[in-house]
Amino acid sequence: METKTGQDPVLKRQTGILQSFFSMIKRLFVKDKPQLSALEEEAIQTPAKTVMKNFLRHKLGILGLVGFICILAFSFVGSYLKPINLGHMETTLRNIRPGYNYLKYPSQLVKEGVKTISSGVSFSVGLSQAGNVYVWGTQPVYLLEGFSTSIHKIPEEVKQANIVQVTAGDRHILALDDRGKLYGWGLNNFQQAEVPTNLQSKLNSKQVAEIIGSELYSAVLFADGELYVWGSTMANRLDIIPAECQGHIVKVAASSNNMALLLDDGTVRTTGIENVFRRVPEELQDGSAKIVDLASSYRAVLALDDQGELHAWGDTEFGILNAPEIPSKVKAMAAGKNNMTLLLDNGQVVYWGADHYNQLRLPPRLQQKPVAKVFSTMFQNYALHEDGTLTAWGNKGFLFGTDEQGRDLFTRIIHGGRISLTVGAISVVISVIIALFFGMTSGFFGGWVDNLLMRFTDVVMAVPFLPIAITLSAVVSGKVPEMYRIYMIMVILGILGWPGTARLIRAQILLEREKDFVLAARALGVKYYNIIIRHILPNIFNLVIVNITLRYAGSLLTEAGLSFLGFGVAPPTPSWGNILQNAQSSAVIEYYWWRWLIPGLFVVFAALSVNLVGDALREAMDPRANQK
Amino acid sequence: MLRYIIKRILSLIPVVFLITVMLFTLLKIMPGDPVRMMLNPGLKAEHYKAAYDAMTIKLGLDKSYPEQYVRWIGNTFQGELGWSTLHNRPVKDAIKEPLKNTIILNIFVIILELAITLPVGIKCAVKRGTRYDNFWQVFSLITYSMPSFFIALSLIFILAIRLRWLPPGGMPLTIHGRNFAYYLSWLKYMALPIITLTIISLAGTIRYVRNAMIDALTQDYIRTARSKGLSEKVVIYSHAFRNALIPVSTIIIGAIFSLFYGAAITETVFAWNGIGHVLVKGLSNRDFMLVISMNLFFAMLSIIANFVADITYGLVDPRIKLE
Repeated sequence: METKTGQDPVLKRQTGILQSFFSMIKRLFVKDKPQLSALEEEAIQTPAKTVMKNFLRHKLGILGLVGFICILAFSFVGSYLKPINLGHMETTLRNIRPGYNYLKYPSQLVKEGVKTISSGVSFSVGLSQAGNVYVWGTQPVYLLEGFSTSIHKIPEEVKQANIVQVTAGDRHILALDDRGKLYGWGLNNFQQAEVPTNLQSKLNSKQVAEIIGSELYSAVLFADGELYVWGSTMANRLDIIPAECQGHIVKVAASSNNMALLLDDGTVRTTGIENVFRRVPEELQDGSAKIVDLASSYRAVLALDDQGELHAWGDTEFGILNAPEIPSKVKAMAAGKNNMTLLLDNGQVVYWGADHYNQLRLPPRLQQKPVAKVFSTMFQNYALHEDGTLTAWGNKGFLFGTDEQGRDLFTRIIHGGRISLTVGAISVVISVIIALFFGMTSGFFGGWVDNLLMRFTDVVMAVPFLPIAITLSAVVSGKVPEMYRIYMIMVILGILGWPGTARLIRAQILLEREKDFVLAARALGVKYYNIIIRHILPNIFNLVIVNITLRYAGSLLTEAGLSFLGFGVAPPTPSWGNILQNAQSSAVIEYYWWRWLIPGLFVVFAALSVNLVGDALREAMDPRANQK
Repeated sequence: MLRYIIKRILSLIPVVFLITVMLFTLLKIMPGDPVRMMLNPGLKAEHYKAAYDAMTIKLGLDKSYPEQYVRWIGNTFQGELGWSTLHNRPVKDAIKEPLKNTIILNIFVIILELAITLPVGIKCAVKRGTRYDNFWQVFSLITYSMPSFFIALSLIFILAIRLRWLPPGGMPLTIHGRNFAYYLSWLKYMALPIITLTIISLAGTIRYVRNAMIDALTQDYIRTARSKGLSEKVVIYSHAFRNALIPVSTIIIGAIFSLFYGAAITETVFAWNGIGHVLVKGLSNRDFMLVISMNLFFAMLSIIANFVADITYGLVDPRIKLE
């Protein structure tokens, strides 16, 4: 042991005299400097500060950090702002490409005066008073010869002809000109956008009252009360119209699998598959109430009788049968897929039903100016004011498109990010805690403890990561309720991921423990436990932090891979990996690129940011690395 | 040296024991009744009981767990890996074909990997800080951050669907006999998985080779060699590279053993009938005997690979005294 000179009072005084002597000489030649303590003169900073400074000099690291903060904010703030309804799906809206322009109607249409508007799943078609057809929104299907044409590509004949009626089905459009010629374009997989030959002869001889487009089928109602339905009608048999109705129909309300028919005697009949839609109340069938108008949502019908009374039946979901208090008489009615709209005599709009796409958040303009007409179909609603302006509300679109169940990918990616980032983080924390325990005990105690723990580490290291993770996940998932499967994934990734880090920590401790400060601490009689915690741990902390960062990126990728194969986070809970789970078929890769590209890019972006941060940290903490 | 090898082998015994115990436990806690899976479900109730008991005894499931373990280990090391319920034949036969497919795939991947990483890694180290080096650094960072399925899906989208150069996945048909067209179709079907796996393997290895080479280039003997007036080519290939080969030998050993590893995700995406795909299919169909056998196979493989790498390291690097 060296003698501690500072302790000797004589020596201290001597050095004091010597120092003042030197400083006196120095002052003779050099300008006097303020006295600084050794620490100040060297401007020593704490290691954390050095690391921070080095890190800030690293451009890519900063870029990664900013990127990662963006991803974090997107996922965590986003999931707070945009809550998810895990049970919600709307298969009608399946596989729609990204677009946020569903309600962006062309100003030219308003200028020319709106005659009618009809909406499909992701687009709307409008007819102006001048007879021009306008289409806006997002292409709802992929384009394939003989299967579908673009809804935006209005046929030349339609542009030439004087169109008097337009209607939108879910993914196709029909238009009728003043000479009784019918045109169709868009999805045509059931020939719903084509005119069948036997309809053509009827069109030539009879006056058309209304054309109707619905989900995968189309219909024409003639002025003489005859209805003709074609398209996808094999399952619901909508093409078979009861003989007693044919020739008496004055109005049709069409839904996906049902139609409500208003007959000329004021009674209502229904067709289509057997469900609540078809349970028409007695008084509407026997003629005791005389119906003048009707509208139908997905599985509910609203009918208005000549006394101004409303009748409703069908499915009760979204409170669609419970019409609010109506202050004045009903002038007109319309129905979206899950909503009902009433236009009152005083120009007010009453609107109720589901709120999945913020339909119920009505724009204030709607109530301020009197409304002349309302157009509600699917999830888009338009109100034509008496001054000719248009107000739109409802589904604005899907920023990242929809998946095979019609769920909004934007929301799912936000919430999936929250899950993926959390699973990754917690699994890394678990594995680092285990690694610290193993690495530190092993490295510090050595001997048989080291030997035992390292053999165990060898065992865990020898089992191949992905296969055993998949196996464990498959085994445990049978015994764990769906709800807890997320935690299970965290634990599995955690308990399989620690050996590498543990070895690293052990090696570092073996290095540190030979250093003099540990010897000094031991000589002073510091307890073993304290030596580990207070003296060695701070020295390996840098290493652990870098390791955590790089491991976190790896953990994100592993979770994504596991979920992609179906052994990770279980749907309907979204994670970046399991959003991609259904994207393995080449049809999805080819036609629905947004379903794999966008979530995939999010994973890449997150992992890349974390890796950049990790690399920068490593260089910041190891000054020698900068020289390389 | 021999003493070290023997010591190393002895230290492997507890590791192997622990792994087998772990896998055996896993096998025991797996859901599903192995006896019922072996029986014909069409049996009548009264026969079923007798058949069930007979099968239980035949499989040795009436014995205690330690006895079952010993029996299982004995069978496994004799090559009797059990019965695959998914393929309805012994596991040994069920994985023969996929193992062959995986090895064929991996031969190409490893050749490509080494052929690209060694020259690129060396050049990056020699020209470090230049645009060439930066390009590969960024490339490896990005591919390192990509999930393998994302690389696979992107390649399918570009090469198979947009350009229509290659099939998006599947196995070549064998009906046409073994002529030139047959081998060509093999290459076509293998191309996308090979490219994917090569890209994945490049990221880490290029960095590794580069760092090993940089370490070698900063040694004093390089300065000595340069000051002797040797040409840069001799300095790099004769002095630096031969020393850099010592750490690189580890990845070469690893690459050789990775021949047998099936890439679960990549093979699944490309529907390549390899060992990784069989594992995923086995798990989805709860064929646990197959899964456990394959896990054991993979574990043993990685133990042997580590062992061989350690020994080679000692042989190649004269500075290391293996005692």
